[in-house]
Amino acid sequence: MHQLPILLFLPLLGALGVAFLPARWWTFVRPLALTASGGALLLAWSLLREFDGASASLQLVAHSVWRATISGHFALGVDGFSLPMVLLGSLLCFVAMLASAGIKERVRSYHVLMLLLEAGMLGVFLAQDWTLFYIFWELTLIPLFFLIERWGGANRHHAALNFVLYTMGGSVFLLISLLLAFDAAPSGTFAMEEMAVALKTLPVKSQVLIFLGFLIGFGVKMPIFPLHGWLPLAHVEAPSPVSILLSGVLLKMGSYGLIRAAALLPGAVAALQGLLAALAFISLLYGGLLAWRQTDLKRMIAYSSISHMGVVLAGIASLTAAGLTGAVMQMVAHGLAAGSLFLLIGLLYHRTHTREVSDYSSLTEVAPRFAFFTILAFAAGVGMPGTAGFIAELHALVGGFQRWHGWAVLLSLGMLVGAAYSLRTIARLFTGPTRPEMRSIPDLRGVELAAAAALGAAIAALGVVPAPALGLIAASVERLTLTLSGHL
Amino acid sequence: MGETLQRLCWLIPLAPWLAALWIGVGYGVGRSRGEAGEKTTARAALGGMGASLLLLLALDLQAWMTGAPPGEVDFHAWLESGPLRIGFTFTLDRLALAMATLSATISLLTTRFSVHYLHREEGFQRFFAILSLFNGALLLLFLSGNAVLAFAAWEVMGVSSWLLIGYAFDRPVATTNAVRAFVANRFGDAGFLVGVALSVHWLGTVEWKALLSSAERLDTMQSGLIAGGLLLAALAKSGQFPFAAWIARALEGPTPSSAIFYGSMMVHAGVFLTLRLEPLILHAPLMMALLFLMGGLTVGYALVCGWVQSDVKSLLLFSTQLQVGLMFMACGLGWFELAGWHLALHALWRSWQFLTSPEFMHGMVRPAWKPPGWVQGQTRLHAAALQRFWLEPMADALLVRPTESLGRDAQSFDDRLVNRMVGLPGTAGAVASLADWEERTEGGEESWDVSAAAAGGRGVMGRLLERISHALHWFEERLVLRGGGEGLLSALHRVGVYFLLADRLLSRPRYLMVFIAVTFIVIL
Repeated sequence: MHQLPILLFLPLLGALGVAFLPARWWTFVRPLALTASGGALLLAWSLLREFDGASASLQLVAHSVWRATISGHFALGVDGFSLPMVLLGSLLCFVAMLASAGIKERVRSYHVLMLLLEAGMLGVFLAQDWTLFYIFWELTLIPLFFLIERWGGANRHHAALNFVLYTMGGSVFLLISLLLAFDAAPSGTFAMEEMAVALKTLPVKSQVLIFLGFLIGFGVKMPIFPLHGWLPLAHVEAPSPVSILLSGVLLKMGSYGLIRAAALLPGAVAALQGLLAALAFISLLYGGLLAWRQTDLKRMIAYSSISHMGVVLAGIASLTAAGLTGAVMQMVAHGLAAGSLFLLIGLLYHRTHTREVSDYSSLTEVAPRFAFFTILAFAAGVGMPGTAGFIAELHALVGGFQRWHGWAVLLSLGMLVGAAYSLRTIARLFTGPTRPEMRSIPDLRGVELAAAAALGAAIAALGVVPAPALGLIAASVERLTLTLSGHL
Repeated sequence: MGETLQRLCWLIPLAPWLAALWIGVGYGVGRSRGEAGEKTTARAALGGMGASLLLLLALDLQAWMTGAPPGEVDFHAWLESGPLRIGFTFTLDRLALAMATLSATISLLTTRFSVHYLHREEGFQRFFAILSLFNGALLLLFLSGNAVLAFAAWEVMGVSSWLLIGYAFDRPVATTNAVRAFVANRFGDAGFLVGVALSVHWLGTVEWKALLSSAERLDTMQSGLIAGGLLLAALAKSGQFPFAAWIARALEGPTPSSAIFYGSMMVHAGVFLTLRLEPLILHAPLMMALLFLMGGLTVGYALVCGWVQSDVKSLLLFSTQLQVGLMFMACGLGWFELAGWHLALHALWRSWQFLTSPEFMHGMVRPAWKPPGWVQGQTRLHAAALQRFWLEPMADALLVRPTESLGRDAQSFDDRLVNRMVGLPGTAGAVASLADWEERTEGGEESWDVSAAAAGGRGVMGRLLERISHALHWFEERLVLRGGGEGLLSALHRVGVYFLLADRLLSRPRYLMVFIAVTFIVIL
């Protein structure tokens, strides 16, 4: 029963090891960091053997009293919502580590920060106590700030500061809401499950107030429409491995937190359903339309992330089992698709030093493997059958239709806009006359190919055989649906 | 023993199909190509047909000894949806067994004949694969226990006939004829589907037995419509009056295939379907009258056209059509038993005639037979007979040309309106080849321009998208990025400047004293 603490401390230990590596062994920085991250990956995926998908309760719980005065518990556990995120997070972290071969300066501190970031993210998904959750939530900020600030693009100082300010601003609301909830709950505990039981009797009005704080805090991270100002800058300026983690895992922390908050305050979610739905549809269309307009590839994927996270929010707001399944699947699918797009675009940028769509053409002839994996990732983003995105969008669409009937057409409209920019980008990148300056781009090879293939395989596997993944989350989704409809 | 034999009846149509598969795979992997492969190919085809015939003969023997045919055999369901169940069911009654045995015998003999006839032909393997496919389909049609299975067999027959008419696919005439014959048959297929759909709708079943026994429950209109749809298919497949023209084109295939398709078995498939539907047709007097009329018209048509033919295959063909027309007339009068006997005898006799027709040409000593004198006198009739009563030009004028002009109109609607709306170039600008396209994109470099790529949309939706995204972009730049992110930073910066100022002021002794004094005043 000690896998989860080991999983959490493995990257931390790796970070310590890398940090105190003697100067003459610095060639071992990358192997060591990769070992730590790879170990976490293996450990996370080995959880699947012990996890019982049929049960909705917390599993593999590790629990110890930590600070008795404020009744903070060091409680770790996984259920159907957190396990997929842990699997996704550990996979993307490893892929990001693999993709970090292009980092040539200050290699040691870079890897220390990456491992710290991994520990922080895994902690957020594993924590079953709100204080612990909040600590890990804030912990991710510090390495990210330095990663963007020191290894980012031309505008990196601005982007890093902007990112931290936005997220800290959100965190303030998150903290206030947590304290309010702690105050309102008669049990006097921060443990997620007990707190949820205690808050059930709270009047809807105070529930709504507390939930709004959560919504702002998580909405910045997710991001939801008016709170997304940090995202385009940060995604564009961050080095590509960090972009993979930003879009692949960091955004999911926001939606994961929102699902946890919904379980905590079901009355408020029901009362604010209209607002959530409106925000979801606005984010969906807004992000898609702006993505359509971008010429910078990274910026385009950044805006498309807003659009895709709109689908997640719509799924949550539908309060149906299908919608919630769609939300979780979309989190996974978008993590894989956006992660692999940032990986590929990063590698491409490394070769050509341009991210302008119009500088590229006819890459299929020059770099067929690039073309294959990029098209696969875009297809997953559009929701093509046979990819993970299809399973996600289908469930979200079904959930949306059950709740809002005809209005679900807005969801389809967002997907249509998504198809428009994806297809145009594919056409621009891969077809047309060959350009002389693009003739000598080396294709994916070795480690890069392995990283891209791992993500591509996951996208295709989830699309073709979705049943195991759906089975993993079904019980927890079922329970949350019952909670939200007031039957539990 | 008898029970196991019945359970094996699915092997009867499957054996030729397996032979076809074997030939196809053997050819595909290169094992049985060329002259060297003819032996294995012929053996496979003959083996498949032989197995079917043996099984059928065993079933016949069993039926003869027990005195009653086995009847229905039901294997597992293929599709179950609500009350509708479509299964792999076979009907082994007198009609089915007789027809299947007859066709298996003729098929086996024709296949054997073809082995020598097609020796050293280019598409030897192809011919035998298609022939086996056709034979299997024919047996499936005769033995099928429900309309859907029969329809599947019907379609495979149509496809294999198309393939064999177009056997010499490098000759344009052959391919044109194949397509025309196939399209004419599709009219009948549509009727078949309508009949199946109506019987599902009114009776909730497609099983022949249930369908025919519940015919009493329907009124004459309903049974007439079901029967009408299926009879349309029968008339088309048998080359009867409105569809009489296609069958002349079908002679394009090799002689053995003509023998089995148009001489013996496929033309009779329509008659078989009519015989199968006997109880239903008896309930629809209008259909019986129509059947009689169509049969009669075909008889007249084939008679007159037959007079003026000068080649043996065409002559045989019109004679066949005439006989089949007589069978339909008999059915129209209710003499189904007679039609059945007529069918069996005619099939045997005619396939022999077709197979011997090339040899017959060698034995000819007299010049070609002339039409009777009085036909030559009637110039109009003579012309009509030579032109086969203008059936095909009529079909062209009534169906093909209107369809073509409708297509042209739709195309121009597409070019002028729809394409422009969705932003595609019209026909005038359509690219015929890749070279054209490259020339254009390289000539008009502006289409690869950055600004056009990013914010430009074509067509109505594209323009709309462009407008909206422009507005949103403005919003994003002004309010979210500059107002939110940068505004936050600059506001903080300004606050920081003020704080710095206050801090600097406070660090001067006089202001520090004032500050302390104020604090004291407030406290006191």
